[in-house]
Amino acid sequence: MLPTRHLLGIEGMNPLEIHSLLDRGDQFADAMQQSGDDLSPLSDVLQGKTIINLFYENSTRTRVSFELAAKRLGGAVLNIALAGSSVKKGETLLDTATTLNAMHPHILVVRHNCSGAARLLSHHVDAAVINAGDGRHEHPTQALLDALTIRRRVGHIEGLKIAICGDVANSRVARSNIHLLGTLGAEVRLVSPATLLPTGIEQMGVSIATELEEGIRGADIVMMLRLQTERMAGTETPSQREYFNLFGLDRSKLMRAAPDALIMHPGPMNRGVEIDSAMADDAHKSLIRTQVEMGVATRMACLEAMADKQAVEAETPKERP
Amino acid sequence: MTDILFNNARLIDPSQNLDASGHLAITDRVITALGSGQPNSKIAKADRVIDCNGACLAPGLVDMRVQTADPGSEHLEDLATLLDAAAAGGITGLGCLPNTQPVVDNAAMIDSLGLRASRAAGPRLHIYGAATKGVAGTEMAELGLMAEAGAVAFTNATTSIGDALVMRRLLAYAGMLDKPVIQHCEDASLAADGEMNESETSTRLGLIGIPAIAEAVIIERDIQLMRLTGARYHVAHLSTRAGIDAVRRAKAEGLPITADTAPPYFLLNEIAVSSYDTAFKLSPPLRSEDDRQAVIEAIADGTIDAIASDHVPVDGDAKAQPFGPAQPGASGLDTLLALTLTLVQQNHISLLRAFEALSLAPATILDVTGGTLMPGAAADIIMVRPDTGWLVRGANFVSLSRITPFEGQPVQGLVDATYVDGVCVFNRHA
Repeated sequence: MLPTRHLLGIEGMNPLEIHSLLDRGDQFADAMQQSGDDLSPLSDVLQGKTIINLFYENSTRTRVSFELAAKRLGGAVLNIALAGSSVKKGETLLDTATTLNAMHPHILVVRHNCSGAARLLSHHVDAAVINAGDGRHEHPTQALLDALTIRRRVGHIEGLKIAICGDVANSRVARSNIHLLGTLGAEVRLVSPATLLPTGIEQMGVSIATELEEGIRGADIVMMLRLQTERMAGTETPSQREYFNLFGLDRSKLMRAAPDALIMHPGPMNRGVEIDSAMADDAHKSLIRTQVEMGVATRMACLEAMADKQAVEAETPKERP
Repeated sequence: MTDILFNNARLIDPSQNLDASGHLAITDRVITALGSGQPNSKIAKADRVIDCNGACLAPGLVDMRVQTADPGSEHLEDLATLLDAAAAGGITGLGCLPNTQPVVDNAAMIDSLGLRASRAAGPRLHIYGAATKGVAGTEMAELGLMAEAGAVAFTNATTSIGDALVMRRLLAYAGMLDKPVIQHCEDASLAADGEMNESETSTRLGLIGIPAIAEAVIIERDIQLMRLTGARYHVAHLSTRAGIDAVRRAKAEGLPITADTAPPYFLLNEIAVSSYDTAFKLSPPLRSEDDRQAVIEAIADGTIDAIASDHVPVDGDAKAQPFGPAQPGASGLDTLLALTLTLVQQNHISLLRAFEALSLAPATILDVTGGTLMPGAAADIIMVRPDTGWLVRGANFVSLSRITPFEGQPVQGLVDATYVDGVCVFNRHA
């Protein structure tokens, strides 16, 4: 059972809550593998419920993943891509929230370029809100799907050495993973150029390295982060080729990691920038495709948990003032 | 014959280091008598006698950092509501920033604002001229003509003058006119896109940080420029330990540097931002707890001379946003006195020091009326009950700007009446 009606971030969740979502995700993953190409619903927990995907930033994998997850739980899905339309017309986030609220959706899945946007929205709508990425803050379902991917492959998370490498400063994926992996007992190391290491990050229970070979030494999991192209033009880093040279993951650098180290990336990848294609496509070492697959199962677990929470709330008599 | 006689008052006058019970008389808009016990028979013959019942009589506040939305955005706050709110807050003189629309960067704008304020018969409006044309930071504005029209200081309002040569020339020119230059100290490149103080908290929240040293970088540079020019220089809303240390060293060296801060910087820290509540989005941003402690120490030891409201009229819509794009700033006129008195209740400073920081120090820095109860001085005084409690509620503010980072907070210190030039401009019990 989720502690709150919204899923806004990993920070504050305890191991029990995280594992219960992962356990359920595990079951959904098995069920989906058994059903193969048959995409009919695996549950009717979202029957008669509306899920709105409200995306202020472009997204393919996360949005499609939530859509598939909702459909396989019997829900009706609406996609609203606002990277253009209403934003250009000047409508504020809260006005959009009010508008959508009047349509009585049950769950709002929100992605926004501002940190804290999902929380702000959750204060103004009746629906349960899932944060699908807010600025540089958190991307909780990504961290959950990463954890599920690791757990299914390795069997556990506790005690693993996990290196998160690249643009930590601007990454919500990094922050959610730091919270989650730390909470589940992994040893997290960050590897990043000094210009992309945010102030005080070491106080979040991680160790830090500014050299890739050093940082991934002995790592069981090497998790690469995307570097946006505008940060490679002499601003945060001098150039794309220098970045790849120093911080891009290739076979020779990976030699420093544990012998059976696995590679992860939240996508979309910049091949030849943060990761060499040979690494990304290595069928034995790369978990990148599995991550996408686990995305749907994880989001089914999250959506189901929120529907369950709503059902409990509906049965609980409201206190009269 | 006395016009107004105040009896049974607790007289607080930082200019004489006076905290004693007694009486005060006003005649022809001027303080004519001040003494302990009951007045003599000559003074006691008064048109009006007001029994203070032990309430404090003190110099009115001189709030040296106020933004007015008039002209340009009168729907947020016009001159009338601004002056009313100031009067209700015990403020008898306010220094207003030139970043209006149009910008106050010429003598005609100073004339116009000054004339309109004088018609309102409220607190005195002390107008700061823009240091650069359009507060753009590049070309010097007509400082001399503005000084003749009544500008008391020059400032680029809410941005630092980044160009060192422009700043050097401004200090030299303003020094020639014997007017202080007031600087919002924040290096624009270090603070670019910044949303809050840079720290573990900003990292955790995923908000872009403004490093504390962005303040000290500008202060240290300007101190070097002061040594070249000898001009008076004032640091507005000082908020970091590094900046305070720089000011303290410059003062020890004997440079004519002064500083103010505002209540958020000694009462709140960056942890408040954790809820992403945009009422806590301010400029400069709320700092670390260590910085907050440094601000309190600096107020106590005089490194920070003055306390100002840093009043910013902000549209509610501009705050109903995610934290990043939300506009910085908050209302301050209604709460300046009570929030400052928190420092007295917590035994950080004396009541006299509080009133010095709120009245005498800013009046001295700006070379304007106020800050004293000395006979012969203009009767800019307030009657205050420093122990009376109330709850900060933006909705109850006299100011039209109702967003405050202190919403719901209990405070002590209530203004009963405000007199400017011997005229009552606010009376709570009227």
